[in-house]
This record gives sequence, C-alpha cells and structure tokens, in this order.
Amino acid sequence: MSGPIHIRPDETFTLNVGPQHPATHGVLRVKMEMDGEYIVKAETVLGYIHRMHELMGENRTYPQVLPNLSRLDYLGALGYTHGHVLAVERAAGIEVPERAEYIRAITVELNRVASHLFWFGAFVMDLGGFTPLMYAIEDREHILDMLEAVTGSRLTYCYYRFGGLYNDVDDDFIAAARAFIPRMRKSLKKYDALVTGNIIFRKRLEGIGPISAEMCRKYGATGPVARGAGLDFDVRKNEPYSVYPEFDFDVPVYHECDSLARYKVRMDEMEQSLRIIEQGLDKLPDGPIMPKKKPKLIKPPVGDYYQAVETARGSFGIRIVSDGTKNAYRFKLRSPTYSNMSLFDEACEGMMIMDALAMMGSLDLVIPEIDR
Amino acid sequence: MGTQNVPSPLEPIPSSVVQFAVADKLINIGRVNSFWPLTFGIACCAIEMMATGCARFDMSRFGAEVFRPSPRQSDVMIVAGTVTKKMMPGIKVLYDQMPEPKWVIALGNCAISGGPFAFEGQYSIVLGADTFLPVDIYIPGCPPRPEALLEGILQLENKVSGWNRWKDPEAKA
Amino acid sequence: MIKETVKQALQDLFPDPPPVVEELVAEAAAEGEEEKKPAKKKEEPRINGVIERDHAAHGYDIDVQLEPGQLLAAVMILDKTGFFLESVTGVDWIKEDQLESVYDFSRFDFDVCRVVIRTRTSRSEPKVPTISKIYPGAGWHERETHDFFGIKFEGHPHLIPLLLPEDADFHPLLKDFKP
Repeated sequence: MSGPIHIRPDETFTLNVGPQHPATHGVLRVKMEMDGEYIVKAETVLGYIHRMHELMGENRTYPQVLPNLSRLDYLGALGYTHGHVLAVERAAGIEVPERAEYIRAITVELNRVASHLFWFGAFVMDLGGFTPLMYAIEDREHILDMLEAVTGSRLTYCYYRFGGLYNDVDDDFIAAARAFIPRMRKSLKKYDALVTGNIIFRKRLEGIGPISAEMCRKYGATGPVARGAGLDFDVRKNEPYSVYPEFDFDVPVYHECDSLARYKVRMDEMEQSLRIIEQGLDKLPDGPIMPKKKPKLIKPPVGDYYQAVETARGSFGIRIVSDGTKNAYRFKLRSPTYSNMSLFDEACEGMMIMDALAMMGSLDLVIPEIDR
Repeated sequence: MGTQNVPSPLEPIPSSVVQFAVADKLINIGRVNSFWPLTFGIACCAIEMMATGCARFDMSRFGAEVFRPSPRQSDVMIVAGTVTKKMMPGIKVLYDQMPEPKWVIALGNCAISGGPFAFEGQYSIVLGADTFLPVDIYIPGCPPRPEALLEGILQLENKVSGWNRWKDPEAKA
Repeated sequence: MIKETVKQALQDLFPDPPPVVEELVAEAAAEGEEEKKPAKKKEEPRINGVIERDHAAHGYDIDVQLEPGQLLAAVMILDKTGFFLESVTGVDWIKEDQLESVYDFSRFDFDVCRVVIRTRTSRSEPKVPTISKIYPGAGWHERETHDFFGIKFEGHPHLIPLLLPEDADFHPLLKDFKP
C-alpha cells in the first residue's frame, strides 16, 4: 500500500465530498481532512436519505410492508423482497410450492446480473471511462424488459407474495431468458476485452484499497468485499435457503484484497448467475405458484426470527420480533452496504483521494440501503 | 429545427414598435432544445434518470443529456428521489446557486408529495419538493418510466417557449 | 462442531446453574415443535442463560441472555473463535419497562452457527458497555441503536447521531414516540 512519506498534521484542510457528488452514488457525505492529495482522516456522515423503513415495518401489517423493501436497494430489489418473504414465511410457517421457489431463484439471479451490470457501468464511469456505461445499461435493459413483462415494474419490484408469487411466468419469458444467456456471455467477453485488460484500468485498481480478511471480520463486511479478500463466504452456499442446494455453481474468491479483486469477483459472479438461470430454466417444475392453505391474516407466533439471504451486495438479514399481532413488534433490517461502508473510514487513511474514490466505487454502494 | 416551425407572432402588433417578441421566441426555443440538467439523483428515480440518458431512451435527441455536476452550469434541476429534512438545506443552496433562468422538475412520487414514505409516524422527510422549491413540472410514478421523464421534458419545453415539437394528437384541430 | 464449543464456553459464564434447568430443556424441545402451548410462556421474564434454538424455525442457533456486565466476556469468547459481527440493534419492551440490546454474530466458514446475545437494561437508565474495542464495526451499529432507542454505550469513542440530524433529541423507535 502506498502511503504518504511525511504528513504534516498541522497544515491540513477539510474537504467535503458533499452529498451532491457524481462519484458518491447517492447522497453520502464524507468529510476528509487532507494534506495535499493525501487523506489524513475521513469521517462519513449519513442520514441524507433516511426514510425509516424500520418504523414502517412496525406501523403496517406484514403484507403492507412488501413494496417498501424494494425501495431499500433498488438495483437488486428482488433479492431484498426474497429475504423479506422468506423471513415472514419462516415466522408464520407458510409452505412455498416448488415452482414458485424456482421462479424466485431465476428472477433473483436475473436481478443480480442487472445490478452488477449497473455497478460495472457506474464504476468504470467513476474511473473516467464513460463508454462501458452505455453498453452495460443496454444489456441491463434486456433484463428489465423480461422482468417487466412478468412483474409489471422495471426497477422496484413487488413480485413475491407470502407463499409464492402473484403472477406466473409464461413461455415468452422462458424463451427470452434462454436467448439472453448466450448474448450476455458474449457481452462479458466484450467487457473483458474492453475494460479488464486495459492498462489504465489496471493501474488505477491494482494494489489500491486493500481490505484484509481480518478487517472484514471485524467490521462484518460480506459479499464481494469479503470474497475479494479471500474469504469463501456466500450465504447461498454457507447457510443454504430456498432451492439453491439444487444448483451447481461456484463462488468466485480472489485473495489479492485490492479493488481489482473485488471487480473480478463481481464479473465472475455474473457468469455464475447465468449458470444458475440456465439450470433453473431446465429444471423448472410444473405446479401451482401459491400454496393451497395460506393464513388470511399473517400473525406469526411470539418470538424472534432471523433470515439471511445473499444479495448483490452481501448478506442481507431481517430480524422480525413478533408479539402475535398483525404488525411486527420490531422489524430490523441488516443491510450489507452499511457494514461494508463502515470500514471505509479506517481503510482510506493515508490514501490519495482518487484511490479512495476508486475503493468506494469497488465497494458497490447504494446509499438508501445504508440509511434505510 | 429551423424557423419554419415557429408559430406566427401575436396579432395585431403595431409596426411602429420594435418587435423583440420574435427574438425572445427564438432564444426560448434555443433554450429548450438544450436543457442542461444538474446531476442530482437522490434515490431510485435517479436510476431511471440515468437510464433515460443512456442509449435506449436517449435524452440527447432532445438536447438534454449533458448532465453538469456543477449548479453554476445547469438550467434544470431534476429532483429525483425523496427529500429528507437533513438534505433540504443542501438542495436549497444548490437551487440558489443556479443562474437564471432555471426550472425544476419533480420526478417521482416522493418529490411530488412524499410518495410511499409518507406514513403516520414519519418524522424525517419533506412531503414534496414544492414545499420549498418552485416546481414547474410534476412527473408521477414510482419510479416513472423513462418515457414519462421524456414527456415531462417535452412539457417543460412547451411551458417555457410555447413551442411544440409535434402536434398534440389529442388537441382538437 | 463449533456450536458445541461455543455453547460450552458461553455456559461457563453462568457459574450458578439456573434454578429450573428442566424448564430450559423443555423449552428447547418445545421450540422444535413450533410451540403448541403458548400458555406456557405467560408473563414470566426469561432468566439469564444459554438456549439452543432450532435453526430452521428461528434462523439462529444459540441464544444467550446475560447481564450488561457479562457482555464483554461473552463477546471476547466469540471474537477468539472467529465470529464476525452481523449487527447490533435494540428492542423496546415498554410493558416490562426495559430496553433490550440484541447482538448478532455469524461465521464465515461452513460450520454454520449463528449466535444472538441479548442484554436488558431499564428504560430510564439504559447503559451498556461498548464492544467497539473488540469489534470496530460496532461503532456505527451502536451509534444507530443510540439514535433509535437512546441506549448509552459506555466507552464509545464517538457517540453522536449517525442517521438522525446532528441536533436530534428524539428516539424514533421507542414505542411512545410521537413525531
């Protein structure tokens, strides 16, 4: 890690990477004390998009909270609603038919690819290359077309219900998904050729922003941040849920701990998601999409329940404390970006500001998920 | 573009008066064909704003794809996302820094009236951008489709200059 | 299995066995049966100790309730055995006039074991020692819990509002909060 040779702490100035900034991906403020180009100390200020999803979980009944989970992380919204419905199904003891589980897995993986594509475009744009954003968003539009035909929304989906889905997929969706997979594989090769081998890109990222495995453990960082630090942790494999044990896929792990490793983890994850989608489409069983017996009013027994799922950004957890009524008593959302971002203050000390922003981009931040 | 699309000036005009009206109309048409938005995406609607600027929906055929990070160089502020009480002074400062003439588009339900986050017990958001900014165009949706944002920009063009790109299909005659 | 080691180490923190050991065992069995008799719970406060839970029913494996004074010792055990901090949050039990702090821990390897540590304090004087010396990630979690519930974490280096505005003096997730 390159650091400054000599910091003069009495000659620093405060730079405000303010809430309105093209590189912060939302309204995040970082107060940095700078010595020239080097950061002496950074302090993150949050709360600019604090909309209090947790209070909504308490003031509303369980089904009424469903749409709000998508607004938490709008790029990978299906993963979050998946976690929510799994948590309530665990709490209330609702069975999910197999066809619904498979369709959920397929749509979540499509959403994961869309989220990584958007991250890829925005990340390279941060580093200065504007063109891959256009290509990535074009690929993402194909996924959004498919999902829109089935769910009705482009971005903030409310597709899953407690017990299954509300709308079945038709043959058009399956044909479109099958046609999309080879197209996406060709695009991934194109991105590899355009971006990964690019000398400027490599120099900007190799060795920059080291986050070690021990730091990940102390701060609770999960997802591609942990996998880029050598930790083989993916909730789909470590703590399997839904139908993921039926799929054969790998978890990419890189040991270099720098921003390039986190980038490579996400690019490889897109390929693995395509594998899951392929297998899901092959194995999709027939059957109903909602269970025959579903409680009219969802009132889980007294106690607390936890469910963790792997979203595009890491391990998302929901803790529901129920007191037997139709509102949750406590609705805690454990967001992965919150823990990932908390290590930024310590990790960027002594770095140059452009390296710090490259590291921030490689953490894949979505600010409404931090502020909830 | 060209001047053949300019509607005829107001009638009657005494010829003894110098006709500034035509020059204003031309300048306004120039303005609306090159709105420069401020990059001010707050939440989910910002993603739809970015998708509008990209290849499929292509805001640049209307002249508006040049997002400026600095408020000093922009004319339109597209408030895309929920405005919280903590963020509101910042938005006001940005609005004040924009030079005249400037307009505001409220994109999405949150910027119009608080959206899905206006529930009893909410203490932290501002119920709509128009409580502290003069909003010109409201675009409903959660999030609105990119086509809706394009329609909003076209409506703003009409509002500013009185000029339409094409005939309104629902207008009579 | 790491679960057994950790459970044993945590149980050693409670040298005096709880008065009714059978109730704990019966409770653990009832957990697996989806609690056919909710009347058994009634209004008895839970006694401090370690309970093993059914992962499929609740989502976590070991549930520990302890006094705030024992918190640091328990967290040290988990740190030495390689757990990572998942989150810290609070629950407002207004009927019992108590505030509960809940700590979630999990593991990175394939030896699945999720541990939940709870500690209760009185609602008027909620003071809990901070764990941010052991797990620096708790810095933000504790600031957020202080924002929402007013629990004071003693020894925290920087306990200022994180998500609420800097001059906020209200705690939104308390059950008697009026905006």
